[in-house]
Amino acid sequence: MKTILQAAFVFLICLLGEGIVHLFSLSFPSSVVSMILLFFLLLFRWVRQEQIQGFVRFLQQNMALLFVPAGVAIMENYSYLKGNVLPFLLVCVISTIVTFAVTAYTVQFTAALQRRRTKPQTNQKEDGVQ
Amino acid sequence: MNLSETAAYLTSSPFFGITLSILCYELGCAVNRRLKTPVANPLLIAVVLVILLLKALKIPYEGYNQGGAVISMLLAPATASLAVNIYSQLERLKQQLLPILAGAAAGTVASVGCIVLLCKAFGLDRTLTVSLVPKSVTTPIAMGISEQLDGVVPVTVAAVVVTGILGAAFAPVLIKVFRIKDPVAAGLGIGACSHALGTSKALEIGEIEGAMSGIAIGVVGLFTVILAPLFV
Repeated sequence: MKTILQAAFVFLICLLGEGIVHLFSLSFPSSVVSMILLFFLLLFRWVRQEQIQGFVRFLQQNMALLFVPAGVAIMENYSYLKGNVLPFLLVCVISTIVTFAVTAYTVQFTAALQRRRTKPQTNQKEDGVQ
Repeated sequence: MNLSETAAYLTSSPFFGITLSILCYELGCAVNRRLKTPVANPLLIAVVLVILLLKALKIPYEGYNQGGAVISMLLAPATASLAVNIYSQLERLKQQLLPILAGAAAGTVASVGCIVLLCKAFGLDRTLTVSLVPKSVTTPIAMGISEQLDGVVPVTVAAVVVTGILGAAFAPVLIKVFRIKDPVAAGLGIGACSHALGTSKALEIGEIEGAMSGIAIGVVGLFTVILAPLFV
């Protein structure tokens, strides 16, 4: 697909996402609804990964840049934080570290449990064959 | 010919905000490559540069945001595009569905619980607390939750961006310090604590990390929508 058509396709998915959110008055953001929508389009092979790869790569390589205006907006709303900047930053730093550690350790721990539980099962299968 | 009138006219053109954002971001990238320290985060440098420039030249934020809004608009397609990364890890997603869901649930509880406790400890009022609660999820979800709980949406957006910069800058350090060996765990952890901005870093670290971070945006976002109102 031509890159400009890829862009049109991804924008169309976003438009559909907004439509779904509006239609069912969801409190879930349209960008995530669009993400789920695109995932199912790929899953049912209505669209192939290669067909939109160019525009997707363009967006993802510049993802951090897309947050610049949101960051600059802090300048407009600094007054809300006056006097609370240090606690604000501390909450951000500490909770980010804790969230990362808890999430990553839970994944590793659950994955290890899962491996241990599936192991005896494969043994049983082997026993059954014997 | 009125020079100051022309300057005001030009700085309220969308091209001004777009050009300024891209140039400052690229400058941030260049500085980051030179200094090779996580503190010199390209986004952080770009935001500081733009703010300083606008302040120094007395350019109103509204003028800058004519172009800024165009850039922000691309956040939605960028988030949606993560479906491609998730789809490319479909097999791994199926195999590890349970650990992924468990990790996202635990991460959500940890994030919300930790923020509520810290805000209490620091004596922050309820309005500020509810504004901070959704800070680890992607901007549109965080704004929705904050609004729903009567928080101050701009504070939420500020917290989301600060958290995202932290995640993007220190993700490799966190993986090393906590000795996370499993790329699925690392990716999900990055996405859970620092949404799409952390994901931009996760995509650089590896394919699996990027995809898992993308999954975390959706799943942790969903869990936070359900959980946040119960905590505050």
